[in-house]
Amino acid sequence: MHAFAYERPATLAEALALMQAHGSAARLLAGGTDLIIRLRDGSARPSVVIDVKRIPELDPGIRVDAGRLVIGARTVMTDIAADAHVRRHFLALAEAASVVGSVQIRNRATLAGNICNASPAADTAPPLLVYDATVVAAGPDGTRRIPIDAFFVRSGVTTLVPGEIVTAIELPVPDGPLGAAHQRRTRRRGHDLASVTLSVAIGGSGTTRLAYGSVGPRPVLHVDGSGVLADASATAEAKARVFEAAFADASPSPRSMRAGPDYRLAMLRVLGARAVATALDRLAGE
Amino acid sequence: MSADGTGISPTRVGTSPNRVGGIGRVTGAQQYVADVRLPDALEVKLVTLGVAHARILSIDASAALAVPGVQAVFTAADLPRPVPRFGPQFVDRPVIATGETKYHGEPVAAVAAETKDAAEEAARLVRVAYEEIAPVVTIDDALAPGAELVQDPSIRPNDPLAGTNVLREHRFGWGDVDAEAATADVIVEGDYTFPMVTHFAIEPHAYIAAPDGDGIAVWSTIQHPNWLQRILSGVLGMPLSKVRVYAPDPGGGFGGKQHAKYEPLIAFMALRTGRPCRLVLSLEETFQAVRRTTTKVHVRHGLRTDGTIAFVDVRADYNIGAYADIADRVVAKGSYPAAGPYRVPAVRILSRSVLTHTVPATAFRGFGNPQVNWAVESNLDEAARALGIDRLEVRLRNVARTGDTLNPVDTRCDGEWDQSVRKAAEMIGWGRPLPAGHGRGIALGIKSGPTTGLSYSTVRLLSDGSVIVLAGTSDMGQGARTVFAQIASTELGVPLDRIAVVMGDTSIVPYDQQTSASRSTVLMGNAVLSACRDVQARLRAMAAKLHGIDEAAIEVAGGVVRLPDREIGVMDVLKPGLGRMGGEVIGNGMARKDAEPDHPLSGSAAFFEFNCTAIETAVDEETGDVTIVKHVTVSDVGKALNPLQVRMQDEGAAIQGLGHTLMEHYIYDDAGRIRNLGAIDYRIPTSMDLPLHMESAVVENEDGPGPYGAKGMSEGALLCVASAVGAAVRDATGAELHDLPLTPEVVWRALRERDRRRAEEVAR
Amino acid sequence: MTQTIPIALTVNGRPRSAEVAAHHTLLEVLRDDLGLTGTKECCLVGECGACTVILDGRSVDSCLMLAVEADGADVLTVEGLATDGRLSPLQQAFLDKGGVQCGFCIPGQVMSAHALLAHTPHPTRAEVEEGLAGNLCRCACYEQIFEAVLSTAEAAAAADEEAGR
Repeated sequence: MHAFAYERPATLAEALALMQAHGSAARLLAGGTDLIIRLRDGSARPSVVIDVKRIPELDPGIRVDAGRLVIGARTVMTDIAADAHVRRHFLALAEAASVVGSVQIRNRATLAGNICNASPAADTAPPLLVYDATVVAAGPDGTRRIPIDAFFVRSGVTTLVPGEIVTAIELPVPDGPLGAAHQRRTRRRGHDLASVTLSVAIGGSGTTRLAYGSVGPRPVLHVDGSGVLADASATAEAKARVFEAAFADASPSPRSMRAGPDYRLAMLRVLGARAVATALDRLAGE
Repeated sequence: MSADGTGISPTRVGTSPNRVGGIGRVTGAQQYVADVRLPDALEVKLVTLGVAHARILSIDASAALAVPGVQAVFTAADLPRPVPRFGPQFVDRPVIATGETKYHGEPVAAVAAETKDAAEEAARLVRVAYEEIAPVVTIDDALAPGAELVQDPSIRPNDPLAGTNVLREHRFGWGDVDAEAATADVIVEGDYTFPMVTHFAIEPHAYIAAPDGDGIAVWSTIQHPNWLQRILSGVLGMPLSKVRVYAPDPGGGFGGKQHAKYEPLIAFMALRTGRPCRLVLSLEETFQAVRRTTTKVHVRHGLRTDGTIAFVDVRADYNIGAYADIADRVVAKGSYPAAGPYRVPAVRILSRSVLTHTVPATAFRGFGNPQVNWAVESNLDEAARALGIDRLEVRLRNVARTGDTLNPVDTRCDGEWDQSVRKAAEMIGWGRPLPAGHGRGIALGIKSGPTTGLSYSTVRLLSDGSVIVLAGTSDMGQGARTVFAQIASTELGVPLDRIAVVMGDTSIVPYDQQTSASRSTVLMGNAVLSACRDVQARLRAMAAKLHGIDEAAIEVAGGVVRLPDREIGVMDVLKPGLGRMGGEVIGNGMARKDAEPDHPLSGSAAFFEFNCTAIETAVDEETGDVTIVKHVTVSDVGKALNPLQVRMQDEGAAIQGLGHTLMEHYIYDDAGRIRNLGAIDYRIPTSMDLPLHMESAVVENEDGPGPYGAKGMSEGALLCVASAVGAAVRDATGAELHDLPLTPEVVWRALRERDRRRAEEVAR
Repeated sequence: MTQTIPIALTVNGRPRSAEVAAHHTLLEVLRDDLGLTGTKECCLVGECGACTVILDGRSVDSCLMLAVEADGADVLTVEGLATDGRLSPLQQAFLDKGGVQCGFCIPGQVMSAHALLAHTPHPTRAEVEEGLAGNLCRCACYEQIFEAVLSTAEAAAAADEEAGR
């Protein structure tokens, strides 16, 4: 690994000042499970690494505040997957967090880090999309709240502006019953990067929010207001039509070594149907 | 309680004491090569190019040498002219790339620096000007007319194949295949491929070389320290006695650590700098250092209506990479038993070693056999289907019985193999109803054991009755230390905790040819046994002298000395026998299997490894996911000297086989670069990828050539994993499978192909 | 230029201090600076688990964190499991059940199993499979490793019952 300077700001203000001072030469270090790999393979060569783990404003923790679940930026996957609030209201997020890497990875990897990397394959992106999460970012000009669907641009790129730091992720606590599920395809059962990720959340009103990733430059959200997916008695043909519309934005790369585009597109439909079935079961159990 | 009332008992063969050397392995105290620290050592980093094949125009080390702490940037220019080459079978691999690179990852320079950081930084700054040349990557590329030659023809003068990319052709067989084909009732043929996979030992290869007086000391993660010593002696021009190889227990070998790789380079660097030089490979670099041969096999079976096999006709091309290493031997020995463990009247095998611009292939558990087994056993299933005969039945009808001829010029069938087959069939519940979407497969595997061998052992009975066993085997996890200690314990009546087994130092431990081919229990085991018997003979002489009786009237066995009138303990002889000056009793043993010059493999099999694997799978038709519901593996081991270790080896081999069966393969880009270097995109089985139920069993008829009737084992359970899994998936789905690994996507495609075929049939 | 930073941490119950390079990982500092070579290096991308240590009670891949991040932390490595020269029950079970072949992955396996049992004293087999999935064993004695972990949990439960806990 190349040599770099290490900074460990004690406050958010200090961190923001360091970001200002170093600009693109700096990289933020949260869980490090992605950054350290990139530092070692040379694909990231910052001259300064800013460790955000001692910043109280980013403290780990999950709390409900005014109808929103607030997940501190440094909260790790292990804690998200095990959290009672998350499991009760945001099961698809718990499911996604519990399949990110191995136990050792989940003990370090943060939710904020996962979305800031903006990997198209990030497992937590689809559930955050279906739950309509908001990213809270602090910057030199104050705090900004970015709807998650407006956060992802493409692999490695978000709408964060230089100098901004994600401090929390917020999810609105559903005001009615909601059934949700997360599905993924991998090359083995043990931890693996997904070749398709997909989440659905079906509300009592019949609206289905469906999001998927790893089949294009960024994860995609599709909201189905027709009620077809939520209708257990809808025909397979009717559901297929909805899926066609939902997956119209999928554009898997033919260059990927994890799966071929035709397999990925076919699996979107399989996972979609399975996730909807599971979500409906869960909704019925609410 | 022991017979002599001391409370300490010998740990006999046939029991499963804790692993000798195990404590260091669970406490972290075990010293692997990367844990050895020498004062003043330089750290080495290899410089490689991001291409498979290139002509090296110039190397500019000035920026690298300017990095503080860098002591040397070593290239071919720093070596004697011509650049020394080496290899276990052909002398073809240069110590470092000279003039050109032949595969992605071949080092063109090596940096030695005071720290790892400096070495890495400098390696990045070595400027290599090169001209990329289109590589030949696949077998088809290499065999195409006018293909670029991988090897300079001058390396093998007088070889008519030198102008091609075929390193060697091997032809084996007997009987008249064409005559049998004319009368066979059904002929079934198919093409099968086996992926390019790597050993992925959790311990990456590591090397240290240090000047040692007027010689050199080399630490390596090597399986064959004596062979490495010979290679180093050759390239360095030093006598064997001045080349000391230390071989600490490797952290997994599986064949990938058999032969020299970068030891000659590191040795030259140590001699040049006058300081210890240390190179620990990254996992990515091990991918570029070792892999299994990959194959394309065409197989044709002829059967008669009663299910007997009339002939087997196999053409197997093995992609062996840029240098031969031991891969041509893999090709010969792996394809040789291609007809399987069956009585077959006519067999024709043509196998070829094909050079390409890819990582040089080497030995890997199973030694070329799993590749051919996948084709031949899969095709035999198709033949059984064509005849409408049960797939187990066709195997039982043809499998050889003890004493039956396999290859007329080779060792005859040396086991009751049908017992293993029947046992496996029973364990998997062959013939019983299955849930929908489930299928079963059964496959047989055979492998020739060592064809030559030479092992020496020295056993030292010390004055307090404790024992040192010197045995040059490498214990890379198979448990050789434990088995040798058990043999000594059984023969000398000494408990295991009073026995030390010393390995891995060529200046101290007597010669052992190699640790491979599941040989060590048989060959080194016999050497240890004969060294113990030599100790017993010396004790007998000692007792005869002490008691003034004839040696012939005394018997020494299992720690007991039987005099004509009574039994006494070994210590009752040793103590007075050695007297006040102390001393020890030294026994020497040897086991040897000579080459047979007229034999097609230069030697018949010392024994056969035989295994039967039976699998039940469930297949997800929508995703192509294969679940191994049950995995049964039964090996004919002669005698399990340590039953727990036998189980560990068999179950471990079985799971390792699931890797190449279900998920492992190198992915090359068009330029011949490996895209999935390292652990992120090269998948091996984790603890969540196991069969839902794994059951192993052994057949023990004490009919092997090793101590107490043991046979070699540890590769057998890997031989036919893919064949049995593929057969089970075929049975579950009707999909035809020809190419490994059976990833969900591959199975999904085969299912779509099955649907297309069925629709076509309906349309007709 | 390499920036060095003083850190103080507890390793295997002993306070240790070191002057570490900012870009060195905890794995490098444990092995190269503190001489604790029991923790192994293999994949360096957090896939194999050979470098697993327990940091403030949780298993982590020491190859994927900077040493300086461990400043102030409590680190347990494989060298810290045996006490007074006696193997921990888990270490002993690995030997008794045949969970060890070449041994290179074992320090990581034992640390992951140790952390698993600390958080889940009575794991199911599925929980053991999941808990150890981040530790590759190429010798593949997974079945025996499971037996070692499950039998350690059972023995601890039996001892608790005996003691009336």
